[in-house]
Amino acid sequence: MRLRWDGLKGRAVRRLSMKAMLLSLAWLIFSLAASTEAAPLKVLRMAFQTAETGFDPPRVSDLYSNTVNEAIFERLLTYDYLARPARLIPMTATALPEITDGGKTYTFHLRPGIRFSPDPAFGGKPRELTAADYVYSFKRALDPKLRSPWAFMLEGKIIGLDALAEAAKKSGKYDYDAEVEGLKTPDRYTLQIRLREPDYNFSYIAAHTPFSAVAREVVEKYGDDTMAHPVGTGPYVLKQWTRGARIVLEKNSEYRGRVWDFAASEDGDEELVREMQGKRLPLIDRVEISIIEEEQSAWLAFNRKELDFGGVGSFREQVFDEKKELKPEWRAQGVKLSRAIAPEVTYTFFNFRDPVVGGFSKEKRALRRAIIMAYNRDEEIDVIRKGQAILATMPIPVGVVGHDSRYQPLNAYNPALANKLLDAYGFKKGKNGFRAMPDGTPLLLKFATGTTALERQFNELWKKAMDSIGVRIEFQPGKFADFIKASQACQLQMWGAAWTADYPDGDNFMQLLYGPNTNQSNHGCYESKAFDAFYEASRKLPDSPERNRLFLEMTRQMEVDGAWALGLSRESNTLIRPWVLGYKKHPILSATWVYLDIDTEKAPTKAEAP
Amino acid sequence: MTEAILSSVTTVAEKRGNGFWSLAWQRFRDDRVGLVSLVIVAAFLVVVLLSATGLVAGNWNQEVAIHDAPPDLWGLLKPAAPAVVENAMHQEQVTPTAESIEEWKNIEAMLSATVVDPLADTLQALGADHETVAVVKEKRASLPFGGDRWGRDVLSKTIKGSQTSIIVGLSAALLATLLGTVLGALAGYYGGRIDDALNWFYNVFSAIPYLLLILAVAAVLQQRGVTTVILILGLTGWSGVFRLIRAEYIKHRGREYVQAAHAFGVPNRRILFFHILPNVFHVVLVNISILAVGFIKAEVILSYLGFGVKVDEVSWGSMLNDAQGELILGRWWELVAAGGAMALLVTAFSLLTDAMRDAMDPKIQKAS
Repeated sequence: MRLRWDGLKGRAVRRLSMKAMLLSLAWLIFSLAASTEAAPLKVLRMAFQTAETGFDPPRVSDLYSNTVNEAIFERLLTYDYLARPARLIPMTATALPEITDGGKTYTFHLRPGIRFSPDPAFGGKPRELTAADYVYSFKRALDPKLRSPWAFMLEGKIIGLDALAEAAKKSGKYDYDAEVEGLKTPDRYTLQIRLREPDYNFSYIAAHTPFSAVAREVVEKYGDDTMAHPVGTGPYVLKQWTRGARIVLEKNSEYRGRVWDFAASEDGDEELVREMQGKRLPLIDRVEISIIEEEQSAWLAFNRKELDFGGVGSFREQVFDEKKELKPEWRAQGVKLSRAIAPEVTYTFFNFRDPVVGGFSKEKRALRRAIIMAYNRDEEIDVIRKGQAILATMPIPVGVVGHDSRYQPLNAYNPALANKLLDAYGFKKGKNGFRAMPDGTPLLLKFATGTTALERQFNELWKKAMDSIGVRIEFQPGKFADFIKASQACQLQMWGAAWTADYPDGDNFMQLLYGPNTNQSNHGCYESKAFDAFYEASRKLPDSPERNRLFLEMTRQMEVDGAWALGLSRESNTLIRPWVLGYKKHPILSATWVYLDIDTEKAPTKAEAP
Repeated sequence: MTEAILSSVTTVAEKRGNGFWSLAWQRFRDDRVGLVSLVIVAAFLVVVLLSATGLVAGNWNQEVAIHDAPPDLWGLLKPAAPAVVENAMHQEQVTPTAESIEEWKNIEAMLSATVVDPLADTLQALGADHETVAVVKEKRASLPFGGDRWGRDVLSKTIKGSQTSIIVGLSAALLATLLGTVLGALAGYYGGRIDDALNWFYNVFSAIPYLLLILAVAAVLQQRGVTTVILILGLTGWSGVFRLIRAEYIKHRGREYVQAAHAFGVPNRRILFFHILPNVFHVVLVNISILAVGFIKAEVILSYLGFGVKVDEVSWGSMLNDAQGELILGRWWELVAAGGAMALLVTAFSLLTDAMRDAMDPKIQKAS
C-alpha cells in the first residue's frame, strides 16, 4: 500500500525506448493518481479492558462506552489537551460561557453550521446543530423513563427541570415540549441556563460526555435501540459493532474539522507540540477497538504489535529498570512511555456514628489519628502497588484544582507517636498485648473487605499496622454493593474506598466529607460543623486563592478530626508504539485518538501485523 | 458344633497373629510403597505437632528478609547473600526548597489560627513536631526457600501452612465420617421411614454441586478462620461415607450374629455401635483417610478463593493465592513450596490409603 515502488520504476525506465518511456510515463501518472486514492489508511488499534454497554450518552455510566461517545458526540465545552491541571475550552460553543447573576446564569453561544452525521432519521437532509438540541439533551438526562445514572449531576440545579421530572412521575409522560424556565434559547444559537443556586462548577457539567448533544429525530426514530445508533456531530462515527468484542470507528465525513493548537504546559510537551501543531484533526482514519478483559492477553497482544498501546500494570519489572526508566530493549524498539497520575484519591474512612471509632471526643480523635499514623502507605505503594502510585496529601489529588503541593499532612506515618498518643488517652494494653478502651471495654476494629488476592494484601498490611500499636482488628468479608448500602446507612465501621474526579475541581472531592451528604457520597457519616462551614463558604466562590485557602482549611479540619486515612493516587504507565504521534494521557478526556496522528512510514503493514 | 468352629477359627488366627488387625498390619508391612507413605505422613504429623507447640515456625509472621527475597537453598542454588539494612521510612520524594518551607510555615500559621486541634497540646508534649524517626532493621537478602512479598520466610510459612492444612483435613474428615457413619448406620439398620428420610436428605445434599455448596455455606457463615473451614467441609462432606456405611449395615443387619444378638434381647443401640460397627470399621478408617486428602485440597481451594483462613493465619491455599500474582514476575518459590508440600502430602496420603485398603480388605485376604 505504500509508495515503495518509485525507485524501482525509475531505474527500469532508463533502459527502455522512447515509446516505452512514454507508455510507462502514462502508466506512472495513472498509478500515482490511483495511489493517492488509496493512500495508506491510518489505523489505530487499541483494547478495552471491560466490555462496552452501548452508545447513548446519558444512559451509559461505564468508562469505555463513555470513551466512544466522547468521540462521536460533542459537548458545549471540552478540555485543553495539554493544559494541567485540566482547563476548559469551547467545543461547539464559540467561547466559554458568560457567567452572570453571581454564578446563577450561564449563557452559551453556539458555532453556526455544525452538522450531525447523516442518518435515515433526517430524511436525507443535512441537519444543523442548534441550541434546542442541548435543551433537549439536558431535559433527556432527567427523563424518569431513561433512569440516567448521571441525573444526580443536574438534579436540583436547573430552575423548572426537576418540576418537569416530578410531573412526569405522576402523569407517566415526560413532556419534552414543555417550556423550562432554566433552559432557554433566545435565538437559534444561544443557550441560556439558569440555576437555582450559585454554582461555579456548572461549566464542567457542560463538558461532561453524558450531556452531549443528541438529535431528537434520532432518539424518537430508534426508541429503545438508541444504544446501537449513535448519531452525533463529533469527528468519528460508529462503523461496526460486535457487542462485547469489537468496535470500529471511522472519520465522520461531515465533521467540520479542527486545528491542533495547544500550548505546552509541562516538561516534554514541546516535542508533542512540534509534532502536531497546526495539523487538521482528525488524522486517524479508522480506530479498531478490541475487548480484551485479561490483562495478560492484552499485554501479549501489545508485545506482538497487534495493539498500539500497552498498559504497564502488573508488568512493571519487564518494563522498567531500577531507576524506573524504560529498559533498553523497549527503547531500542522506539517505544515511548506516557506516565500520568490519575485524578483520584484512595482513602479509608471511619464511621462517625460507630460506638467504637466514631464521635468527636478527644479519646476517639486520638484513637482514629493513632490508627492513621500506624498505617505505612509507603509500603503499600512499594509492595502492593508495585511502585506505581504517589502518596495523597490532601483529599484533593494532584492535577485537580485546589491541590496544594506544599501541604504537609498532620497524621504522617509515625507508629511510635501513635503508641504514645494511645497511652496518653488511656487505651491501656492488656495481658494479651492488645489495648482496651479507656473505660476498660474491649477494643476491636471491624474492617470491611472483599475476598480477592489484592484485598488480602491490604488486610495483611492493616493487620501489621494495628499489631504495631496493639489494636485488635478483624476483617469482615462481603460484597462491594452490600458495603455501599451498609455505609450509606452508617453501619460500616471502617472501609477503604476510592474516588476519581468527575470533573477536575476540588469541590468534587470535598463533597465526600460534607455533612449533609451523609447517606449519599459521605460514606463515613462525618458531620463536622467546622468542616461544613468551610465547605459552604467555598461553594459560593469561583476558583480563587480564597477558595484554595478554604480547601486547605478543610483538609486540616479533616485531619484534626481523623476522618480519613488518606491513601494514594495511582500512576498510570502506558507504552506507545513509535508510529503513534501526539499521545499524552489526559486526566479527564479518554478518547485521545481524536488528537493523534500515525506515521505510516513506521507503522506495520497488514502483512507484517498478523 | 458352634464351639468347635469357633475354636478352629481361633487357632488359625493365633497361628497367623492376633486376629483381623494384626493380620492387616502383617500385610501392610509387606507393602513398601505403603510403608514409605506412612513414614512421610508421620513426618508431616510430627512437623504439625512441633509447629502447633510453637517449637518450629513460630515466627512465620516476622519479616526477616527483604521484600521478595530470592531462595538460596542453604547456598546450593546461589551463595547466601549478606544481610542488608533496610530503612522502613522513605526519603522525601521531592526535597522542599527553602522558599517553599517558608511558604509552608505561613500556611501552617494560618491553619493553626482557623482550625482548632483539641489534641495539639498533648501531641506537643509527646514531642510530635513532624519529625519522623527512622526505623532501621537488619534484614536478610536471601532465604533457603525465599521470602514472600513482605519478606516472611517461605519455609516457615509452608510449615505453619501444613499445620493448618493437616489439622483442617483431619478434623473435617473426622467430623464428616462421624456424621456419615451415624446417619448411615441409622438408615441402614432401621430401614423404612428413617431410611427414606435420611436418603432424601442425602439426595438433596448430593444434588448440589460440591464446590457451590461449600461456597454457599462459607458465604452464610461470614466469620473466617480455621474452625469455620472445618465446619464447612465437615458439614458438607459426609454424604459419601453415609452411602457406604448404609450399604454395609443393610448387609450386616441380616447376618446371624445380629439375629443372635436380637434373640438375646440386646438393645438396638448396642447392636448398632458395639456389634456391627467393629465389623465395618475398616471401611470407616479408609474413608477418613480418603476424605482427609480431599479436604486438604478443598481447604486449599477455599483459601485460594478467599473464603478460607484469616489474615493472620496461613495455609497452603492462602500461599497459592498470594503467589498467583507473583508468578508472572518470575517469583516462583512460594508457589513451588506450597504446591510441592501439598503434592507430597496428598500423594503420600493417597498411597497410604490404598495400602490400608489392601491390607484390610477381607477379599484380598482370601485370594492370598
